[in-house]
Amino acid sequence: MNEVARMQELEPIDAVQLEIIRQLLQSIPDEVETDLTRTAFSPLIYEYKDYAVGIVDVKGRLIAQSRGGIPIFLANALGLAVLDGVAMYADEGIGAGDVIITNHAGTLGQHLNNVVMFAPVMDRGDAGRIVAFMAILAHWTDVGGRYVGSSASNDTTEIFQEGIQFRSVKLRRGGLPVAETYRMIEYNTRFPAMVLGDVEAQLAGCVKGAALFEALIGKFGATRLLDAISTLWARSEAAARKAVAAMPDGVYRAASFLDNDGIELDRRIECPVTVRIEGERFIVDFSAISPQVRGPFNSGRDGGGIASARIAFKYLTTPDEPANEGSFAPLEVILPDGKFLSASATAPMARYSAPLGTVVDTIIHAIEEAAPMAIAAGHHASMGSHRFQGRNPGTGQLFSHLDTALGGWGGSHRCDGSGPFKTMAHGDTLDVPVEVQEAMYGLHLERIEFRQDSGGPGKHRGGLGLIKVYAIKHPVKLTLTFERNGCPPWGVRGGSAGTPNHVEVQRAGEAGCARFLKVNDLALLPGDRVIIYTGGGGGFGPASERDAAAIALDVRRGYVSEEAARTLYSNDRPG
Amino acid sequence: MRIVATDTGGTFTDLAAFDAQAGTVVYSKSLTTYGDFVKGVISAAEVARVDLAPAGLFKHGTTLVINALIQRTGAKTALVMTRGFRDVLEIGRGNRPEPFNLNYSRHATLVPRELRFEVAERTSGTGEPLLAPNLDDLDVLADRLRGEGVEAVAVSFLNAYLQPRHEEQVVARLRERLPGVFVTCGSELSREWYEYERTATCAANAYVGPQVTGYLHVLREQLGAHGFAGRIFLMGSNGGVLGLEEAGRGPLALVESGPVGGCIGAAAYAGALGLGKVIAFDMGGTTAKCAVVEDGAFDVKSVYHVGGYERGFPIRGAVLDIVEVGAGGGSIAHVDGQGGLRVGPRSAGSTPGPAAYGRGGTEPTITDANLILGRIDAASFLGGTMKLDPALAHHAMQARVAVALGYEGADGLDRLADGIVSIAAVTMAGAIKKVTVEKGLDPRDYVLFAFGGGGPLHAVELARQLSIPEVIVPPEPGNFSALGMLLSDYRVDRSSTFVREFNEANIASALELSDSLKQGITEEIRAESSTAAIEYQHYFEIRYRGQVHSIRTQVGPEVTADALRSLFEQLYRRRYGHADARAALELVSVTTVGLGTMDKPDLGSLARFEGSDRSASPSKRSVYFPGAGRLETAVHARRLLPRGFAAHGPALVEEYGSTTLVGPGDRFEVGVLGELRIRLAAREGGQ
Repeated sequence: MNEVARMQELEPIDAVQLEIIRQLLQSIPDEVETDLTRTAFSPLIYEYKDYAVGIVDVKGRLIAQSRGGIPIFLANALGLAVLDGVAMYADEGIGAGDVIITNHAGTLGQHLNNVVMFAPVMDRGDAGRIVAFMAILAHWTDVGGRYVGSSASNDTTEIFQEGIQFRSVKLRRGGLPVAETYRMIEYNTRFPAMVLGDVEAQLAGCVKGAALFEALIGKFGATRLLDAISTLWARSEAAARKAVAAMPDGVYRAASFLDNDGIELDRRIECPVTVRIEGERFIVDFSAISPQVRGPFNSGRDGGGIASARIAFKYLTTPDEPANEGSFAPLEVILPDGKFLSASATAPMARYSAPLGTVVDTIIHAIEEAAPMAIAAGHHASMGSHRFQGRNPGTGQLFSHLDTALGGWGGSHRCDGSGPFKTMAHGDTLDVPVEVQEAMYGLHLERIEFRQDSGGPGKHRGGLGLIKVYAIKHPVKLTLTFERNGCPPWGVRGGSAGTPNHVEVQRAGEAGCARFLKVNDLALLPGDRVIIYTGGGGGFGPASERDAAAIALDVRRGYVSEEAARTLYSNDRPG
Repeated sequence: MRIVATDTGGTFTDLAAFDAQAGTVVYSKSLTTYGDFVKGVISAAEVARVDLAPAGLFKHGTTLVINALIQRTGAKTALVMTRGFRDVLEIGRGNRPEPFNLNYSRHATLVPRELRFEVAERTSGTGEPLLAPNLDDLDVLADRLRGEGVEAVAVSFLNAYLQPRHEEQVVARLRERLPGVFVTCGSELSREWYEYERTATCAANAYVGPQVTGYLHVLREQLGAHGFAGRIFLMGSNGGVLGLEEAGRGPLALVESGPVGGCIGAAAYAGALGLGKVIAFDMGGTTAKCAVVEDGAFDVKSVYHVGGYERGFPIRGAVLDIVEVGAGGGSIAHVDGQGGLRVGPRSAGSTPGPAAYGRGGTEPTITDANLILGRIDAASFLGGTMKLDPALAHHAMQARVAVALGYEGADGLDRLADGIVSIAAVTMAGAIKKVTVEKGLDPRDYVLFAFGGGGPLHAVELARQLSIPEVIVPPEPGNFSALGMLLSDYRVDRSSTFVREFNEANIASALELSDSLKQGITEEIRAESSTAAIEYQHYFEIRYRGQVHSIRTQVGPEVTADALRSLFEQLYRRRYGHADARAALELVSVTTVGLGTMDKPDLGSLARFEGSDRSASPSKRSVYFPGAGRLETAVHARRLLPRGFAAHGPALVEEYGSTTLVGPGDRFEVGVLGELRIRLAAREGGQ
């Protein structure tokens, strides 16, 4: 029975009380999130927002999720973790004051840095019945494995090279720390102080969120609260169904590919997607995508296929409201086992997120004909991670500086493509200031500027990528993971593709440049230069229809060169 | 001595003037005059029959800066940056606070790319000059800027927070070459790192510079023409005033000039009444704002987003820590696409305004709900100058919301209107939680201090939701911003980034840095004001090494590392519930605040009382209260209530510009300073 049908059986809830409950529910993860970003030790949490804060019910269904975390966790990693924890502790049980952690690849289907922690929310009025779970997923800086940072790999071939797995392990029991779990954490990370600091922040958030939810139960009663939650789910579901119903029925297709799996550099990872719209059903079919790959670009079914489909679905149907379980009810995913988005529990997954921006973009591309007003042209889609490791020349301290790429987004029916932003799988993710990189790590940047002519021509031009140049002043090692060079960000409705990503390394005293997409621990010396070119977004609509004043302004601002304006935007250009 | 304070707001220009000889205060309101704001100021003085000639101090708050930034009506501005970095302003931090919006973009930058120029210069990440700017290049640049007809120039270089010399050289040369053009630089405004934030601050300062300096010039001329020969001060966002010179150099300091007056007033009353912990709560036509005042002081934060976090841009500088939410008298109640009831943040503003205004508004607002409930009077709204039409309010509520949600009959409409007010209260309670609970403060330990047109009407319910035991409504809540300005002191905040290991030696260096900041502050205050006494506060921003968020920790002159550490841990524990005694600390920045005390009125003289025992007998009105239904409720005219007057609710206390609502069982009295003090009756639960 779907939520709409179930709503009709619920006792009707007063509109005023429902709105009050809705606001108070959403305020819980939002408040916990604020604390988490302020108390975390890892920039991956406080700047990158690599976390999810939410409340799930006893069946793992999402009640409310904070607004600030990145979209990639919409697959309800939180609910999956809770369900696994409940199953694993079926005999012992879960009681008040217990806190459980898991990063099991077979459950979450993500890299092992992503650790979910959760605590039960009890109904004090009902002899300690568990009503829900407060759960927080956070990216731990390092969980062991072959590379510093665990997931900074382009060439691992098994999950076991990527760190330790904690499959549903109690961190606290009855409110007391489980010392052996803490020891297991401490001695399996390269950065115990930072990781244990983040564990504290995550734990404080779980405990606080659970207490806040318990206070709501005290105020409204568990039954009334859960009824209100069901009504809110049903409403989100109805809104999503309405959005799908507005799209014409049909079978829609798009295809894209990723450059390689980091090991077999000449072999593409194919990503053709079929979307079937049947009334209120939105069916994403991944049957034809590449099988599981050797390198670390795999993800599990939930962390990969389902997550991508959910992100795309959210962009297309109910972009304006925070997600809950109802938001995804009309979505169905067809995904055979053993694909790169449904890999086995032992497959390498260090870079599980690298393909997801492309997968999301491809689903959106597929429904170009069905919903031309709701889509946008392709975006740069590459995580574009560039990590420098070395010693700060001033202090001699070891550092590891991770940044990811900003690039152009696609034009849409409404406007030119925007950006530069990170990918569709990111959200409120902050780039690291140049002044911080230079003061903290002794790096030196020569420039960061818009990459002229990188936006795909169109009636609405694609957003521009960037050129970012590092001048190397002291020895460092560079690890790069760039994607989407072979398959540039596509144009739609007659628009053209944007210019793709790549990286060049210019050696001191040498004339030419070496091109890279993926490389591990490349040694760089003083005088070398790293030049990062990030992709522009695709254009929307034929370039010949672009407003002349807009073209002139683009030239004046240097977004588009005079030559490109003449050749790519002329009315009589071929094709 | 006579002190005149005026506050130019979106709709009204408010005035409060204090005459020390007579010990009296007068208040007035006139319509804000767009196009020539000074006219509204002069006319407010005329309405109040205040002679400006004998006045010694003129304090002025204005929304000029924030309006220019939001409506993009500032100067044609150029930006000059380090070679290779002219796009910093447009790239920002690359974040998308609306994660599922495919068309997300920020508001356009203040300086478009064709007006962003580069200079070959460089300072290293440790503050070493690597490449000095070439003065001949600057002359070419100056010609180019002149050719473009720019009115303002912002200079912002990489790492200038460590070493401002290059910026200063370029600014000096450009000022020389471009007379009449407003030239400013980042390091003049902020010595904190993060190039995007500092550049955005500098660009915004340049953008509003010509307009504000022009305005200040006209203000001085016009006041002079009306006989004023005293000193002029402007309300700064940091909760103090600054002088004309300073405001002309750094007009961005006026960005939140409006709302701070009320907070200063709240702090002054709290001090006089011996209240250590107060939440200042201001509700107007479109938003509600709140801030915490502890021991007469308020928090100041260094990043503020013009136009909001989602789409706006950040500025660095001391801004009073105010949280604002979209709940005001004009906030619209509506049924959303999913059949849910929502209140705000969309507002009917002052045009068309609430349905009851009869100016064409067809959607029900919070003001309409209050009218339906009998909480405000159709005839005496704004002293009777604005007649409200209850039939229009009823019709809008019925047609737009009640029918769709199944609220029937007169009782249904009451329940719905009450629900709308409750939902707005939840939103406002959320804002108060942000300034209290999210900082580890318990709102139950505070007094709710309510002002603004709508604050006193909603404060009791809000206090009840948050279990706050007492509400205070000061005299003149509708004019409280201008009143607060009468009470302001001169204030300068200076900060400098100083990222160092936490140890005795570095603490000593940080204290030296504080001392040099203090000297600069002293010079500024001495130059700008005749104040005798200056008080200083010194703060270090401290954090656990590895965290990004720091905590502002007050330091004395003889502080030791141990004492500072224990103070930090105490603040951290209060805020987050835990602290780690082993983890390494780090100094992040140094802030020094200087407060120059100014002449101000005695608070006891600020309340109006025109009554006698005979005239204090109240009228009655039917008012809806949740749980109790319609009750015959006493309606008091505030100006007729003597000090010491006390009664139990339900009651309404009306005055020009505001109405205070007291619930059944709550007790209220008129306090020693003419303030209304409402003790809430103990009641089960919230809501």
